[in-house]
Amino acid sequence: MYEFDVVVVGGGLAGLRAALEAQKTTEVALISKVHPIRSHSGAAQGGINAAISSTDSWEAHAFDTVKGCDYLADQDAVEILCKEAPDRILEMDRFGVMFSRTPEGGIAQRPFGGAGYPRTCYAADKTGHNLLHGLYQQAVKTGLRIFEEWLVLRLVVGSRKAIGLIAYHIPTGEIVPFRAESIVIATGGYGRIYSKSTNALINTGDGAAMALQAGAPLMDMEFVQFHPTTLMGTNILISEAARGEGGFLHNRKGERFMAKYAKDAMELAPRDIVARATQTEIDEGRGFEGGYVELALSHLGAERIRSRLPGIRDISIDFAGIDPIDASIPVQPGQHYSMGGIAVDIACRTGVWGLLSAGESACVSVHGANRLGGNSLLETLVFGKIAGKTASEMKLQRGQEDQPLTAAMKEEQRRIESIMGGKDPSSVPSVRTQLKELMTRSFGIFRESQTMKLGLERLRKLSALYKGISVSDTEKDFNQAVVRYNELGNMLVVAHAVAIGALAREESRGSHFRTDFPKRDDSRFLRHSVTSMVDGELNLSYAPVRLGRFPVKERVY
Amino acid sequence: MKFNILRSSRRGQSGHYETYEVPTGPGMTVLDALFKIQETHDGSLAFRYSCRGAVCGSCAMTINREPRLACRTQVEGLTRMKPMGLSLFKGLEKAVDWDWANEILIEPLPNLPVTKDLVVDQTKFFEAYRKIKPWFEPNESETAFSKVMPDQAERIDRYLNCILCAACFGACPVCDKDPDYLGPAALAVSERFLADVRIPDKEKRLELVADKEAAPACEFIYNCVKVCPKGVAPALAIRSIRDSLETARH
Repeated sequence: MYEFDVVVVGGGLAGLRAALEAQKTTEVALISKVHPIRSHSGAAQGGINAAISSTDSWEAHAFDTVKGCDYLADQDAVEILCKEAPDRILEMDRFGVMFSRTPEGGIAQRPFGGAGYPRTCYAADKTGHNLLHGLYQQAVKTGLRIFEEWLVLRLVVGSRKAIGLIAYHIPTGEIVPFRAESIVIATGGYGRIYSKSTNALINTGDGAAMALQAGAPLMDMEFVQFHPTTLMGTNILISEAARGEGGFLHNRKGERFMAKYAKDAMELAPRDIVARATQTEIDEGRGFEGGYVELALSHLGAERIRSRLPGIRDISIDFAGIDPIDASIPVQPGQHYSMGGIAVDIACRTGVWGLLSAGESACVSVHGANRLGGNSLLETLVFGKIAGKTASEMKLQRGQEDQPLTAAMKEEQRRIESIMGGKDPSSVPSVRTQLKELMTRSFGIFRESQTMKLGLERLRKLSALYKGISVSDTEKDFNQAVVRYNELGNMLVVAHAVAIGALAREESRGSHFRTDFPKRDDSRFLRHSVTSMVDGELNLSYAPVRLGRFPVKERVY
Repeated sequence: MKFNILRSSRRGQSGHYETYEVPTGPGMTVLDALFKIQETHDGSLAFRYSCRGAVCGSCAMTINREPRLACRTQVEGLTRMKPMGLSLFKGLEKAVDWDWANEILIEPLPNLPVTKDLVVDQTKFFEAYRKIKPWFEPNESETAFSKVMPDQAERIDRYLNCILCAACFGACPVCDKDPDYLGPAALAVSERFLADVRIPDKEKRLELVADKEAAPACEFIYNCVKVCPKGVAPALAIRSIRDSLETARH
């Protein structure tokens, strides 16, 4: 058994930042199912928002955020996010991250969707990569204890408090308990429950599913962000920065169709609006064959593309055989971000004492019904730090309860043994594929009662099917079939939470659009949805939104 | 298309080649094909993956005798692709019959011990990375943003792109014959710090790459430059370090 004060689950930006903070005063371990620099944070492209200019203000940033969120964000959390932003940028600057520069040598900022000021700091279009490496380097410097390629199987809650977790060492198949005074979940999003997603293949909502099963409620799970510009076919992200730098969206008739949907903001309207517009163009037959529109960059000129969007250019060449200097990029909407997550307060505490969460796995909530581009990287650093601090202060007496941990370990060992030795290697992938297709079809950009009801029914059947399947690989070493089996279990739990939240929310707000309820309904739904698990069944309730200085208004761009 | 894959179990023992037939189409990558094999032929095939978009560095492996990212390598393009023209060493020229016109040969990266199948143990690679002390010493009292002119920032741009995939480490003939050599990636990362105008005193940092297992060991074979999926060109970094060492000596 391993024993630490704080165990952080997840090695992306939020997890690393939490671990670095907690490590200042406590003994910390970071557990990640991949090496930290393989985390999905590294794929973030466009940038990170902060009001660092003398003509900008945190209040302006907060207003853009709250409006972008369609007023569902908690304004006290947004205030923290925006106030802390400049300090976090300064910190990353001190950690050696090389942000792109102005001609005078200052930190450059670019315009981003839904923002009234160009306040997105960036490192070309590889901002996540640069931030992740910068933070990882500090982890290496400080000798942070990292357990890489360990998959957490479940969280263990003792008498009213999280006491540890059970983890599976992927290279050897060993199953080991970790005892901890507090646990920070920073496992990112759950995009892989959709068939078209920009997310890394590892983003399966493990943390959210395990927290829910451990008794911590989830919040606002129905709010799933669809990004308007993902590369046709592979759905690799084509950053909003491409439009921030001046890129245009065209339909098959060559029209800049955003003029019809957001005449002022055009391509830089918030993502939910551009994604719906793009999907509408495709659905109404004005897209190209195969279901896409075109993102034109060539008018920006080779020099600007090379210097500001080199990653986008590489992706287009490598994965679509198109050089955006000469030709337009075929793009289509795809799942991109999970606004919902584990419900936490502004100190990152969940409903279970000793269990915390930060970053995309959490819902604090600063993204409400629609996240603005450039706010997610910011959230990881701001709330990662806060989670680390809170976790390090949650020291009670060192847990005396070994028994629940050893019992849970034995249960997990039996469970893993029992699923090995099946005949058919395709049973897990088959359920996974069905899940993804059903989520895209029934709980995608446009939602409607009847298809959602059918989807939910289908989801129940898949969950039942999952209980009977097994994996064919019986080896202990690097048994990825076991990993993917576990991930699928988590995906099904999370998908269920998304589904019941979406069906119950009879309004359209931010990313959640109901064709049968196309208007926002503040009287009934200016509320957070809260999903908890009671005796293995999901239970939906609602909680008030913490409003503040910005009154609720109609959202026009 | 046939995929001929070097399978190894139990920490790299008992390596043997196995062939799988996978239907391929436009846009299919080697990583896609590996998943197909895992899902339809053999669930025990092991390989690392994460982003599938050539940014995370998980899936470097040897494809047709050349270290590449599996996710960035299109199956249909492979037969048409011009050879990289790598200098060969034993890791890249294992004796096996390989019908290159009809078969794709997939092996783990050379120069690192195999954990299972296409998964290698990167401990040694990250040890080399740690040896060059790849970090800033943050000055907590600093309250202003650093000032870096765009051309100064540009100087380290190339090296910042390193995703630590270890393709260069696997491709390097010096890594093969000198097990203590730090390898191209660690040295490229070192130059990223050496050329950063925000770090005032470079002397100690230069010492870290001055001994015979570091920059001086490079023989400028340029395999690292040829295989790097991110255009980092580690050999240029090493050239620059060697120049700095030369200058420091005088």
